[in-house]
Amino acid sequence: MSTPGTSLSAPHDPDAPATHAPATGPVKAYAARATPFDELADENQEIRAAWRAFAARFDALAPDELGRRWEQARHLIHDNGVSFNAYGDAKGMERPWPLGPMPIVVGPDDFARLSAGLTQRARLFDAILADIYGPQRLLDEDHLPAELVLAHPGFLRACRGVKPAGGRFLHIYAADLVRQRSGAWCVLADRTQAPSGAGYALENRIIVSRLLPDEFRECHVERLAPYFQQQRRTLAALAPSAKDNPRVVLLSPGPYNATYFEQAFLAQYLGIMLVEGADLTVREGCVYLKTLGGLHRVDVILRRLNDDFCDPLELRADSALGVPGLLQAVREGNVAVANALGTGVVQTAALMPFLPGICRVLLDEELALPGVETWWCGQPRVLAHVLAQLGEMVIKPAFPMGRTEPIFCDALDAAALGELRAKLQANPSLYVAQHRETLSTTPLWEAGALQPRRLLMRTFSVSDASSAAGYRVMPGGLGVVAARDQRHDISIQRGAASQDTWVVSEGPVSTLSLLKPVDAPVELSRGGGDLPSRVADNLYWLGRYAERADAMARLARTAVARLPDGLEPGASLIAALRAQARAAAPAFDAASGKPELFGTIGAMIFDGDTPGTLADTLRSVHRVARAIRDRLSSDTWRVITALDQEMRDAETWAAAVSTTGGVSALLDRLIALLAGLSGLVMDSMSRGHGWRFLDMGRRLERALSLALTLDATLTSAHPSESLVLESLLEAADSAITYRRRYLSSLHAAAVLDLLLTDPTNPRSVVFQLGALLEHAAKLPHLAGRGNEGVESSIAQGADTLLSHLEETDVRRLAEVDPDARRPALVTLMAELVRELPALSDALTESYLNHATQARQLARLSESEQRRRPQLSEGAE
Amino acid sequence: MIHHVVHVTEYLYSERVSTSHHNLHLLPRATSEQSCVHEELEISPPPAMRRERVDDFGNRCTYVEIHEPHNNLRVTSRADVEVAPRAPLPATSAPWEAVRDAVRAGATAETRAARHYVFTSPHVPTSTLAREYALSSFTAGRGIIEAARALTTRINKDFVYDSRATTIATPVDEVMRLRRGVCQDFAHVQIACLRALGLPARYVSGYLVTRPPPGKPRLVGADASHAWLSVFAPSHGWIPLDPTNDIVPGEQHITVAWGRDYSDVTPVRGVIMGGGRHDLWVSVDVSPGEANKSEASPGEAQTQAQFQSSDTSETPP
Repeated sequence: MSTPGTSLSAPHDPDAPATHAPATGPVKAYAARATPFDELADENQEIRAAWRAFAARFDALAPDELGRRWEQARHLIHDNGVSFNAYGDAKGMERPWPLGPMPIVVGPDDFARLSAGLTQRARLFDAILADIYGPQRLLDEDHLPAELVLAHPGFLRACRGVKPAGGRFLHIYAADLVRQRSGAWCVLADRTQAPSGAGYALENRIIVSRLLPDEFRECHVERLAPYFQQQRRTLAALAPSAKDNPRVVLLSPGPYNATYFEQAFLAQYLGIMLVEGADLTVREGCVYLKTLGGLHRVDVILRRLNDDFCDPLELRADSALGVPGLLQAVREGNVAVANALGTGVVQTAALMPFLPGICRVLLDEELALPGVETWWCGQPRVLAHVLAQLGEMVIKPAFPMGRTEPIFCDALDAAALGELRAKLQANPSLYVAQHRETLSTTPLWEAGALQPRRLLMRTFSVSDASSAAGYRVMPGGLGVVAARDQRHDISIQRGAASQDTWVVSEGPVSTLSLLKPVDAPVELSRGGGDLPSRVADNLYWLGRYAERADAMARLARTAVARLPDGLEPGASLIAALRAQARAAAPAFDAASGKPELFGTIGAMIFDGDTPGTLADTLRSVHRVARAIRDRLSSDTWRVITALDQEMRDAETWAAAVSTTGGVSALLDRLIALLAGLSGLVMDSMSRGHGWRFLDMGRRLERALSLALTLDATLTSAHPSESLVLESLLEAADSAITYRRRYLSSLHAAAVLDLLLTDPTNPRSVVFQLGALLEHAAKLPHLAGRGNEGVESSIAQGADTLLSHLEETDVRRLAEVDPDARRPALVTLMAELVRELPALSDALTESYLNHATQARQLARLSESEQRRRPQLSEGAE
Repeated sequence: MIHHVVHVTEYLYSERVSTSHHNLHLLPRATSEQSCVHEELEISPPPAMRRERVDDFGNRCTYVEIHEPHNNLRVTSRADVEVAPRAPLPATSAPWEAVRDAVRAGATAETRAARHYVFTSPHVPTSTLAREYALSSFTAGRGIIEAARALTTRINKDFVYDSRATTIATPVDEVMRLRRGVCQDFAHVQIACLRALGLPARYVSGYLVTRPPPGKPRLVGADASHAWLSVFAPSHGWIPLDPTNDIVPGEQHITVAWGRDYSDVTPVRGVIMGGGRHDLWVSVDVSPGEANKSEASPGEAQTQAQFQSSDTSETPP
């Protein structure tokens, strides 16, 4: 069966040698027909040592078992919202994360060699950066062509001479690896700027280890947690002044970035705050987090922004994502940025041919982990060589040029190849040629069987000042597995899948998990004062939109249910719906009669292109929730995702839904989900300022929505008013209370009392105002921002409205004048519809106004040199 | 000759600016022909923080933070700069191909330092048009200085000074086609031409002293910011050339800063929070340093200043 001495590691688990494996099973079957160059099977189609323990257990699984578990895992991915954003995909921007259930198994010796090579490479890049941003000996002594640095847009002259925190430029380093025929790994690409993927690797691990719990445990798989613990230690240690509890933040480009999910997940896992550029400000050379409670000093920034986006003042001027003055704060030594600004300059394949030489010069070592054979075309002899065998090359840009894809020359026809040749000859230094590697294959679970697919592996390293190697490599990685027949440009964006990577060990492994942190050096206090203003803003609007959606769904459901009753109450309810939408919602002409009612309600639910419809409001719920993904529990996020899913489906079948039953069922589900959302908020959100702002949003919206509804339906008396009253009670979820109090007789005054002034009805306007008043009393003080007294003005506003309502006699409100109008009600509703938004504005302006966009002056000052200065002409 | 320079930049915002960060390249640097006798930078409202540093090109650079709410920002730089006359251009110089090869080889500290200015930069990308245009001045074996000077003259003759034709965002190739532009464009064009041939060239930002017509009084605020370039000629150093006026800069040109192109030496760069619309006033006044110490009062300068509003900034008057 197994042949000893396969090129990889020895068997590591004596309890599970391959000899005990069943004679058949998916892995055995796979190995038997394995392609010649495979991770799992060797050239004799025997299972490699590292895989044997896993293979034995995997093959012992009941045939349907994996399929069944995999189905569960897919739900887990969906429910956790694990996703990535596909660029250029406007509609369904967020895609579920593609994960395959099969791990990629790496043996201990293989990993040890790899680890030594990766740490050396990380040290090398750090040393190159120190030289480029320092003495530039590499350029002066011609170890590196000057053009590769001086013409690289990522060489940030503004960073020259800036001492990086902790004496290091590179803190997080990722490398994309492929396996060569010899069995050794080699590097296809280096990531030195703001590498992504470690969070996805972690998420993959969490899911796959649940999917295959016994296999995971018994194969002695190295845990990932120690790596992330090291990352926390590394980041905390970068704090400019030794602090017990430095504030570390993850600076994200925001929810539209491809890997936003990962950033939010990673921030949560590391226990650091996820922030965007707009959350930070530079004051007197220090970086601060803008929170409801004022400014809080930030010590360390783990950035996921590219270099040039980090500071619109000194770097890329059109960046709206960065923090103006950040570079100066770094220069002052008041904040540490990891990776240091400017590290993108070495993230180019053009460097690869020079690394062995540079390694000798800077580290006095031989390069242990080579890159794939690479040529930089900027040297005439090299160009000639590349052109001579262009057909076998992969051409990449030497410098970042937008989103340029590698060009696989074997896929080009003669004309395209000729064109490429001309481009290379015109500007040779812009291009890099790489040898096409034949990638190894690894098993992918597809359609109930294992299929060989090409493999690319992303590995991660973090700096570790305490270790001799200088860096620590994640025992694992993000396996990227090509789709069927995919030979070129293997990436998740292009349809590849990801797989967990298991580094198996000979003996027991550490079972540390960061999910329950024992030693948490950078754990932040999440008290209210920490809440970034931008987050409070999004929570507030989440409350408002969710409540608005709830009100609309309830009105629409009642309207649909009452359609058989005739024109009323449908027409009144549509008027109320229109009022909720505020914007130009589909109009309804009462004269056209009942058949139109259903169509109009349908449009107000489904028409996602019209602002203010239910579909549009739910999209807003999703948008603001997504912007604070890291603040929401996974249960809450599940509800948000489910709401989004309902409307996505709804949009597609909207045209087909012609039955009231179908629409009612959808609305029932939406209402249940929205109730679930508010239940989760009430039950599981800690009562900090975040919850307070969310609840204020809900309260304010509920009061406003009711006022708009009453304004639209009861300000004029109606012949069939009892129908309207009944449906209003239903829509406001107050019908049972009413019936208990008044049995079945419907009076406008009694309905108004219950909906407006009854302090015990949690749906009444008075109830909402009371809650707002309580919140206002507990808002953080805004001393020193020119906003003194705002807290009390918000409280006063709510108080004034509350006392007006409390003083109101509902019988007078219900009185009808000769024109069939209710003047008192008109006045009161007008006051609410005017004053509630004013209250919201006061709140927004004083607490949430930090969302103001920073703007660039440069475009203007650039025109200052545009007058013609001439030597001998005077002014006239 | 000593010049007294007063350069006022004023932003008027339609809405309050709550906080702003600026990076200024306004204090003149010292050069082999020029020294600063006295200089000051006055900023209103007063900055919460201000830091002077020397950037990677050796320019003086000022970082400023303002956290006081304001509707108008005024930056006034005053400097007394002594400029020595420049020796006439040498009659002969190395063939331009030899300069190109020497820079490529980078065998000396001087040529290695010049390499910082030979590659593409944000405003000066690789340009085939520029290369073709330049080649008729750069005939085989021609001396670098002679050829570059001839190119300056050609650009001056072939290009029309037109402040409406371009904006700062107009690419060099577009300027090459239009054959129109302002001093920035003229400088960028010649830099593109020189770099296309593998010759280092740098962008110089500064001021030009203007002389009134004979018998007329000198008017305050009529002077201007200016831009030219210099080309690298080993053993002669950097030779300045002004294609806008077809001259070799001398005592009338006051250097503030240099870099690869305009983006390295933008006089006033800033990011503001708030502000709404903004209008910009710029006034430059250069007067003889010894004779007339009385400087322009701010009000006076303003009346003469150019006016640009944010709506028209892309197509200046």
